[in-house]
Amino acid sequence: MSNPTVRVLYIDDEENNLQAFKASFRRQYEIYTAISAAEGLKILNNIDIHVILADQKMPNTTGVEFFKSISNTHPDPIRILLTGYTDIEALADAINHGDIYRYITKPWNDLELHNSIKNAYDAYKAKIDLRNKITELEKTNDELNRFIYSISHELRAPLVSVIGIINLVKMENLYNSSGEYWGLIETCSNKLDYYIQKTLQYYKNTKDVPDHSEIDFNQLVGELIELHTYSDKDTTFNVKIDQATKFVGDAFRIEVIFSNLISNAIKYQKSNELNKTVNITIDVNDFEANVSINDNGLGILKEHLEKIFTQFFKSKMHHGSGLGLFIVKEALNKINGTISVSSNVEVGTTFKITIPNAK
Amino acid sequence: MPNRTEKVLLIDDNDIDLKINAKVIKLSNFFDEIILCQSGEEGLNYINKNLDHPELLPDFILLDIQMPEMDGFEFLEIYKHLPKTFLNHCKLAILSSTLDFGDIKKAEANPLVIKLLKKPLYPHELRELLGDKHVSLSGI
Repeated sequence: MSNPTVRVLYIDDEENNLQAFKASFRRQYEIYTAISAAEGLKILNNIDIHVILADQKMPNTTGVEFFKSISNTHPDPIRILLTGYTDIEALADAINHGDIYRYITKPWNDLELHNSIKNAYDAYKAKIDLRNKITELEKTNDELNRFIYSISHELRAPLVSVIGIINLVKMENLYNSSGEYWGLIETCSNKLDYYIQKTLQYYKNTKDVPDHSEIDFNQLVGELIELHTYSDKDTTFNVKIDQATKFVGDAFRIEVIFSNLISNAIKYQKSNELNKTVNITIDVNDFEANVSINDNGLGILKEHLEKIFTQFFKSKMHHGSGLGLFIVKEALNKINGTISVSSNVEVGTTFKITIPNAK
Repeated sequence: MPNRTEKVLLIDDNDIDLKINAKVIKLSNFFDEIILCQSGEEGLNYINKNLDHPELLPDFILLDIQMPEMDGFEFLEIYKHLPKTFLNHCKLAILSSTLDFGDIKKAEANPLVIKLLKKPLYPHELRELLGDKHVSLSGI
């Protein structure tokens, strides 16, 4: 493996120093020298320099002034300041304004200078590598965003057409005309749509920064109950919301949390239960919203309670996606909320959540 | 306007959805006539062509968002410059399969859009939206 070519620019008003530097280091580095800051800038504009050494005491422009002047136009090369004087003021200035990597006193020690240049080059490489990684990540991020966008449009649009056709079949009373086939198509289509929606919810939750909007729990819960009970009107909802104060939080995530919990409460009812009931109480104060969602449904087995918030956990009996509660937990994590669950196969399940009030 | 028939204009680049939604509207008897356009441009042409024939103009428009060349939002940018007499009479709703929060917010923020309906189109949602209007119509 050949060593990388390190391009070093050395600026000093004393020709002797430039010559001495060349003599010592020409085998290790590709060396460019300049007799003044102006000359140095010319080289910098034409050659991709990795490390710049500049003498502090030069007529017209000092080393620090030179470094300051190129901080916007040439931010990448690593800077080393050389000086024959122990000049505290220059030193302070160099650190505060010149973005200096090392400060070396003249006359220099060859080994020390060599090590400094070597380290400076490593720093240069790390800087460039980091920038390339960031560009790469931004690109991946961008692609992921476009992928999510295309799932929400291109992939879902034909599926929604299929569901539309099934609705037409129902409207024209043809649903039972082919045995159970239409029903099976409907079940599969709804399941696929559910997965697409949950996947989108999950990605949006991991990516979006929390937003702060005012939340009216009465309205939110009312709308969600209406949405989820449209196809299943057997369940009675008792809603008690005490919101005397303004609540500010992340509208999308809070909706996702309630939507999943309400949908679960309806989905996992006992089929032979005559009074299917869901009780929702919300108590809002200046610091948080305390929510309890309780149902008299199937309940959760004790041995499952610890796993229900993990991704793709499904119980054998019930056909969930294994995503709903995982997404609830992830969304609460993002907004510093908490969730706890108590359940019993006889009496049903209660989820208790707290969401901080960001007002 | 006596003897005038209620018309709906559907704008959607997807001919299957156009067919499905036309059928849903037809089966629900919400409108007497359904006008189908496969692009925003076609929709604008139809309206512009008939501005002097108000009996041919739609009373209600269902507009898709994701369409090639002119999308729903671009359509609305041109649509808003149509004569006030027409805009005041004709209601417009968006009908889209989008789940994109940005699109949903943008649509809801547009003053010309009375509602964003999500595909598939359900008769009951349309009935709720048209509710008041149709009560008054049946009262004529």
